[in-house]
Amino acid sequence: MATYILRRLIQAIPIMIGISIISFLIVNLTPGSPVDKFRSPRVSPETIQNLIRLYGLDQPLIIRFWSWFTHFWTFPFDKLAWGYSFTDGLAVRDKIFQRIPSTLLLMGTSLVVTIVLAIPIGILQAVKQYSWADKLITTFETVGYAMPTFWLGLILKQTFAVQLNWLPLYGQNALGKHDLPDMLMHLILPVTTLAVISVAGWSRYMRASMLEVLRQDYIRTARSKGLNGGQVIRKHALRNALIPIVTLLGLTIPSLLSGAAITETVFSWPGLGWLGVQSVIDRDYPVVLAVVMIGGTMVIIGNLLADIAYAVVDPRIHY
Amino acid sequence: MARSEGLPAGSTVRLSPADDFDEVDLVPVQTFWQLVRRRFLQNRMAVIGLVLMAILIASSIVFPIIGGDAWFKTSLVHGPKDPISLTAPMGYDNLGINIFFRLMKALQTSLIIGTFAVLIIAGIGTAVGSISGYAGGLVDNLMMRFVDIVLSLPGFFLVIMLVAFMGSGNVFVIIFAIGLTGWTTAARLVRAEFLRLREADFVQAAKALGASDRRIIVRHMIPSAMAPVVVASTLGIADSVVTEAALSFLTFGLRPPEASLGNMLTGAQDYFYRQPLWVYYPGILLILVVLAASFLGDGLRDALDPRQRIEA
Amino acid sequence: MTRADGQGDLLAVEDLRTHFATSDGLVKAVDGVSLRIRQGKTLGVVGESGCGKSITALSIMRLIERPGRIVSGSIKFDGQDLLAMREEDMRDVRGNQISMIFQEPMTSLNPVYTCGEQIAESVLTHRGGSHKAAIGRAIDMLAQVGIPDPKRRASEHPHQLSGGMRQRVMIAMALSTDPELLIADEPTTALDVTIQAQILELMKALREKNRMAIMLITHDLGVVAEMSDDVSVMYAGKIVEASDAVSVFDRPHHPYTRGLLASIPRLGEKREKLAVIKGVVPNPLNLPSGCLFKRRCPDAMPVCDTPPPLRSVGDGHVSRCWLAPDGGKPEIGENAQATEAVAAALTLTVAAP
Repeated sequence: MATYILRRLIQAIPIMIGISIISFLIVNLTPGSPVDKFRSPRVSPETIQNLIRLYGLDQPLIIRFWSWFTHFWTFPFDKLAWGYSFTDGLAVRDKIFQRIPSTLLLMGTSLVVTIVLAIPIGILQAVKQYSWADKLITTFETVGYAMPTFWLGLILKQTFAVQLNWLPLYGQNALGKHDLPDMLMHLILPVTTLAVISVAGWSRYMRASMLEVLRQDYIRTARSKGLNGGQVIRKHALRNALIPIVTLLGLTIPSLLSGAAITETVFSWPGLGWLGVQSVIDRDYPVVLAVVMIGGTMVIIGNLLADIAYAVVDPRIHY
Repeated sequence: MARSEGLPAGSTVRLSPADDFDEVDLVPVQTFWQLVRRRFLQNRMAVIGLVLMAILIASSIVFPIIGGDAWFKTSLVHGPKDPISLTAPMGYDNLGINIFFRLMKALQTSLIIGTFAVLIIAGIGTAVGSISGYAGGLVDNLMMRFVDIVLSLPGFFLVIMLVAFMGSGNVFVIIFAIGLTGWTTAARLVRAEFLRLREADFVQAAKALGASDRRIIVRHMIPSAMAPVVVASTLGIADSVVTEAALSFLTFGLRPPEASLGNMLTGAQDYFYRQPLWVYYPGILLILVVLAASFLGDGLRDALDPRQRIEA
Repeated sequence: MTRADGQGDLLAVEDLRTHFATSDGLVKAVDGVSLRIRQGKTLGVVGESGCGKSITALSIMRLIERPGRIVSGSIKFDGQDLLAMREEDMRDVRGNQISMIFQEPMTSLNPVYTCGEQIAESVLTHRGGSHKAAIGRAIDMLAQVGIPDPKRRASEHPHQLSGGMRQRVMIAMALSTDPELLIADEPTTALDVTIQAQILELMKALREKNRMAIMLITHDLGVVAEMSDDVSVMYAGKIVEASDAVSVFDRPHHPYTRGLLASIPRLGEKREKLAVIKGVVPNPLNLPSGCLFKRRCPDAMPVCDTPPPLRSVGDGHVSRCWLAPDGGKPEIGENAQATEAVAAALTLTVAAP
């Protein structure tokens, strides 16, 4: 197992390099320059030139890339490894580290809620296939999965926060408060937005996986041994049905991050996604670069975790 | 005792419908596409998807023509307080624009962007996938690493970046950005098909006849591999339309006076209290597009897949 | 006229009907099947694919699921009426007094549990006791079925074993609760011929040891001849012939049985063509009227338009055919339009000996 993990980590390196190159190229080759917002009749060309030199924008691309790339990975030790933000001059690393916990909180809670709800729902649907409950739930699932995140977020926000005033409107905490209950209140709406759509999707997978498993010969064998329905499902069907779900979990991490970007923006949740969107608007390139890199890293880690989980859960896999 | 074969001459035998030996289990032979069509039409959800999609496409063509400039013409005479009428079934917004026609124009824009983005996805995906799958070996390896890299990039975020940096509000940029980030799944599908087809008999036969690689790929393999691409593309339209809407909602995409389902939502959110319908209309239309594309795509997949699944 | 319940009948199936309501129509997979299995004896149930033999077995175990349904009939096992039981009581019978093994050893075992665990599960369910003891018994059983190094194998997963070994594990699992009846549904069909022979030898040895009755379902006449005391031949959901094995092989009556036996090529025979039964099995959704075999039967006559009764053609030998017991012309004449009364008037036996 350890060799397997090591092997995968080594395989991740070229991907990491690739991500770095592509991100860097996108940020630096697109039209417009970070100094453009400083240009105005009142700013002299020399100042602009100085700025260009300051940001190292006059160097060849390769040099700039190498310089940035090598500095990037010193971040555990160097506060300025990711540079300064163009908007407020703060160290990019600090800005990002400050935001990561919020995003993880949002993502993590949504994931937990999704798993807790989607798995039982999917199982129920599979066991009671074709019943009215199954059909009704399927309808909800289909419509729920088709909803755009931002629209649902919008509606929930307007209904519960603005009109009914039951829940806070935005942010992670009310001004000045730092306690848990307050944060939980703020967490409800964004998590619900993500969870509704997520549960709709996952319970369909669970249902399909469960149905597939229930058709297998070994289920018939289990029944022929005299086990009751519950035992057959819990012991024999469930473990097998969860295997593909576990793999899928890792593979949906990329879309979780995208979903985060939109939801955080709608609810002004102080997370990485919102920071990313803001910095794109502000052309804050160092921050944008860092966010993309972090995003990419999280995807790679997610895939690795999925592969490991799969190897653990399915005894047929040799690693 | 063994007896002679068949019936004694002159005997009368009562025949019932199942007695005609030759017609046992003979089903008229159908071509592949006829079978696909039959399976598709028997699938209720698929037909619903097809009909819904047809209605949506038709609406997006017809109503903008009927409406003319109603979708962006502001008015001081009409406003939110106007009752709904035949010419304005959804009323007017705060700028006096006819909401229904603006909605239809937005639908048109969304569908166009979605379709073209999907074409780019299919194009790049097929190109990459076919070369990778056919060539195999090192080329395949390298290309798949590249796909892995693109997949690891946060997709939506990348789209935002591309659009923002290359020009917000530019339809071509939007199409290009969505297409450029979404081709990976199609590439994998095509590659999988190609890997399978490479060893197929008819490909070996073409090779034996001396056909060049390019001819084999284009004339023989791509048509076979198209089926999963068609399915993925149909489902991809839903994705692209929603992505465009999200872009426009976040003000990266189309901005007023351009009509997009996304920017109609941006405008509507501040008026939700008084005019909740302004938020529901574009949203429900989006949902309908996604549902239509999903049902259609799933229906196509089930119809094309020879391993039938049993539905109640 | 039905024969009186014989002494020592472990299992008595009477006029079992299991129907499937599919979207294409009603499929009468099992349509009036009766059979008996005596204590400690082996009944071979023979027939082509689709004739309903597996469904019969699943019906006995009450493992039929939607859209299938046991419509009528009775199944008496050891004095209990299996069809009238509550489901909880049936579960006490399944895997305990009646065990079943299936055709596909590759897919019949759960891939995520070890072999030992799966055998132990049977033991724990029906005999209770500690987990440790159950595993011990599992290892025991693995040894009994001839698996070398049983302790190691018990902790391995099914995919680590070959097909033949998996079938042995299935047998071990089925026998771990000392059942009185073992239902074996094509146990060797999916295996190599050499492995097949080994498994059959194993079953014979275990049958001897445990004094177990076996219902052996197969399409392979060789296997039947090897293993069975009694034979029932099925066709299109009905029993067409039944007797002890010797009678069926030496004095087959029904044209189908005769066709099956004739189609086996024999070493040393000089033939140009293999003897075949012409035609194909009827489509269950479009069954012919009258005798289900008439379209393929070399002896078909007008009277075959009326469904023949299952009638006695010898001592404990029944056949569903109008032909006289000696194979000659039917007593009621070839061209007769037989009625139900006429059919009933012929000597009838509704069960295997």
